[in-house]
Amino acid sequence: MGRKKETEEFLPLTPAAFHILLALADGEKHGYAIIKEVARRSDNKVHLSAGTLYGNLARLEGSGLIRESDRRPEAGLDDERRRYYGLTKFGREVAVAEAERMQEALTQAHAKRLFRKPETI
Amino acid sequence: MQTNSTSWSQKLFRKLLRVFPADFCANYGGEMEGVFREQHREAGERGGMVGLLRLWAETLSGIFSTAPREHWEILKSDCAYAFRMMRNNLGFTTIAIITLGLGIGVNTALFSVVHAVLMRPLPYPNGSQLVFVRQQESKVGQDDIGFSVHEIEDYRDQTRTLSGLVEYHSMSFTLFGHGDPDRVTAGVVSPNYFEFFGIKPLLGRTFVAQDDEPGAPAVLVLSYEYWKGRFGGDMNIVGRTFELNDKVHTVVGVLPPVPQYPHDNDVYMPSSACPFRGAKAFIANRDARMMEVFGRLKPGVSLASAQADLATIAGRLRSAYPKSYPDNIGYTAEASSLREELTSKARPTLLVLLAAAAFVLLIACANVANLTLARMVRRERELAVRTALGAGRSRLLRQLLTESFLLALAGGIAGLFLAYGSLGLLTEFAARLTPRAREIQIDKDALLFTLLAALGTSVAFGSIAALFGRVNVSSGLKEGSAGAGAGGGSHRNRFRSALIVSQVAFSFMLLIGAGLMLRSLMKMQEVNPGFVPQHVLAMRMTFNFSKYTTTDQYADIGKKVVERVESEPGVISAAVTSSYPMQPEIVTAGPGAISTSFQIEGQTLSASEAPPVGSFVLVSPEYFKTLGVPLMEGREFSRADETKTLQVAIVNEAMKRRYWVNEDPVGKRVSADGGKTWMTVVGIVGDVRDFGVIQPAAAQFYLPQTQNPQPSALIVRTAADPGSMARAAIRAIHDVDSQTAVSKVLTLEQAQSDAIASPRVMASLLGIFAGLALLIAAAGIGGIMALAVGQRVREIGIRMALGAQPSAILRMILRQGLAWVLLGVGLGLLGAFALTGILKSFLFEVGPTDPLTFAGVAFVLIAAAVIATLLPARRAASIDPNVALRSE
Repeated sequence: MGRKKETEEFLPLTPAAFHILLALADGEKHGYAIIKEVARRSDNKVHLSAGTLYGNLARLEGSGLIRESDRRPEAGLDDERRRYYGLTKFGREVAVAEAERMQEALTQAHAKRLFRKPETI
Repeated sequence: MQTNSTSWSQKLFRKLLRVFPADFCANYGGEMEGVFREQHREAGERGGMVGLLRLWAETLSGIFSTAPREHWEILKSDCAYAFRMMRNNLGFTTIAIITLGLGIGVNTALFSVVHAVLMRPLPYPNGSQLVFVRQQESKVGQDDIGFSVHEIEDYRDQTRTLSGLVEYHSMSFTLFGHGDPDRVTAGVVSPNYFEFFGIKPLLGRTFVAQDDEPGAPAVLVLSYEYWKGRFGGDMNIVGRTFELNDKVHTVVGVLPPVPQYPHDNDVYMPSSACPFRGAKAFIANRDARMMEVFGRLKPGVSLASAQADLATIAGRLRSAYPKSYPDNIGYTAEASSLREELTSKARPTLLVLLAAAAFVLLIACANVANLTLARMVRRERELAVRTALGAGRSRLLRQLLTESFLLALAGGIAGLFLAYGSLGLLTEFAARLTPRAREIQIDKDALLFTLLAALGTSVAFGSIAALFGRVNVSSGLKEGSAGAGAGGGSHRNRFRSALIVSQVAFSFMLLIGAGLMLRSLMKMQEVNPGFVPQHVLAMRMTFNFSKYTTTDQYADIGKKVVERVESEPGVISAAVTSSYPMQPEIVTAGPGAISTSFQIEGQTLSASEAPPVGSFVLVSPEYFKTLGVPLMEGREFSRADETKTLQVAIVNEAMKRRYWVNEDPVGKRVSADGGKTWMTVVGIVGDVRDFGVIQPAAAQFYLPQTQNPQPSALIVRTAADPGSMARAAIRAIHDVDSQTAVSKVLTLEQAQSDAIASPRVMASLLGIFAGLALLIAAAGIGGIMALAVGQRVREIGIRMALGAQPSAILRMILRQGLAWVLLGVGLGLLGAFALTGILKSFLFEVGPTDPLTFAGVAFVLIAAAVIATLLPARRAASIDPNVALRSE
């Protein structure tokens, strides 16, 4: 219960923050990979700039939603200065809560017929 | 080409990263550069120039939307942290806020005075063009002889540099129609006077040309202060009528609060309404000078060219009217800026006080820096932990500065209250020096000043604390290191000592300033004024002069007043006079303003030789007895000296010393009207300091009221408290003539004390500043010694275990405290020698390096320091070696 309340303090997430959590949902990534993933999954519609990305990473890390991974790229394979970030358990809970919130909003929108009919697409 | 643009972009990006907080940069900067490099490469490959432009647009907006947020987060957490620290260290917080509040408060208060008086432009449109014009007789030391009507017309016609010359003079009249007869000072001015200054009336109107025409209805404009004080700001005052000079005058307007120069007047009237100014004989006489003249520099004209212009006109007048402007008086004319006129007297005093206030703030700063440093010792562990956890130096500096700024801001708010509370007193003081005092207020500039002072203060003591409290991570974290780690610690202690020494030095200088002023004030109080001021009551009398036209009538009323007042029980003697010693108007005017030239019978002057000058006081026979002025030779006046008998005069010793060095003036004849009438000197009296305590007696003539009546003041020597006789004396005057206005009732002791009010206030203010400084410095010394003792408990314990006596420990601690103080006093001595010259013009019979003051101040300061050190020293002496060595 208390835990739920804690996660709710973060809701709603900013679009950028949610995208980042989403990008990290299936595994640890470094900064540039997050940008690429977000762009790929949004059909190139969402472009995170370096400033926006690291501003968000700093805040998410500060609130314990993500953490820096111990993993380091193998020497030679990748830039050694790169750090990898991953979701914490709590971060995952927050992302789930946000997804649920969105889901609920979507359900209500459906109930009110707030969507385009398939045939019109 | 490609690599070139990449590296160029990279450099720019790296520069841009600096807008982020330093910690953020250190943490993510490298990665961000890496990301940007990849983005840049990809954008270039895929989108070409368009892609690059788009990347830059996104990057810039990303940086400038993220960075402020990062800064804000840090500020929020720093503030929260600082508030926690302040709450947890209430003692420190309170002392720091009080100290800073005092420092900032005195500066804010003085700034608002200096700003209103010296910095703000005059409250008139294009006020910098306004000038005050003077005619001078430089060879006889008269720097303002006034203007006659002819002269004003001449200058008005001939000047090429000044526009709108307007005239002014001030007179006392009696106003009837509002309770008791009211003596008012009236400014008599050209009808376009207010238009010339650009003063818009608060109520009604000012004068128009028609008001000055012969036969026009008589009108008055009231000054703001008179309207407020006498009529309680009555909004329906316009249209009310008063009787004045036997004529009904209608109030047509009220002025806004503006500085009045050269006098504060109650009412204004157009020049034709003044019975003296309007008299035909007066207008016709080129030598009948009474008016002051203001002018406005034409656009683009400098003061220097106006001076040249006036000098040219003066030269023309000299050759056209050699009788009015003989060569031996050095006749000339000059202009000075009105702003200078209004403020020059106040400037040195205010600047000295502002400097003293700045000293107080410096001392406060040093003290709080020291307190902060002392607290840093205790916080060293905390700061070291934070450093170890990744907070960079700049991050810690930033946090310390936030803390110190919050402290200084709180101090600034406390200071504002202090300034606000003291403003009334300061305004009263400034009013003695400048008519601009009424403009003093705490306005937005003063608030800005307070904010800047707080900011500057916090940067000063905050960065001192941060730089010299440099955290040494390894030593800070070492087990049991209670703070003063060997290397950084001694460095820091040295710096703390330096702060103490500088506080002592600045306190010393302030104390010297205050001490010198105090000594000088005491000297002023010791001055023998040449009369006995105790038990003498004085007041101004203004007769309704339209009832009295002849000399004999005036002589008669003067005699009647004296007789009637002397019949009151408790009155020892009374006299009427044209003025009395220490009379406020005389004290501010000085001898130069009221002296006239005269000639001594049988003495011929060469063409270039300046004629003798002296001031004239018209007194009734009882004057010298009433004041207690000794007769040195000859006789006093008597009732037998009448208009028809021999015209007589009495001179003072200064006059004899100056013009009859090896002769006896008694029996000699003098003339003040070019030889038309001659007066015979019948006696010599002792010198009286008429013009204030500081001014030595000027060469002076006394003429009998019986022959030259001008009974404008009454003096009464009483058996009992003179203040209690005031009512009886006023009643006696009204018994003789109920239409007489009585004003400025005061005892001569009061008058004498008022004459040195300005140096007294200055001495008090400097004294307060110095006292604050002493208190702050002594508290600082005590606090730092206590801290030092705390740090040396172990060492002292060892010394005592090895056989040191408590008294030896006591001496050791005292010696150290004393060493700092002596060093501070030494430096302060040098500073004082360098600076007290500035005070020279304020000092009276005391040299700026008066040894007694220096010795006294050094003694006080050292004694204060010893007392402050005694407490921690005694604590050190009572340390139990067993306990000291076992702890830790």
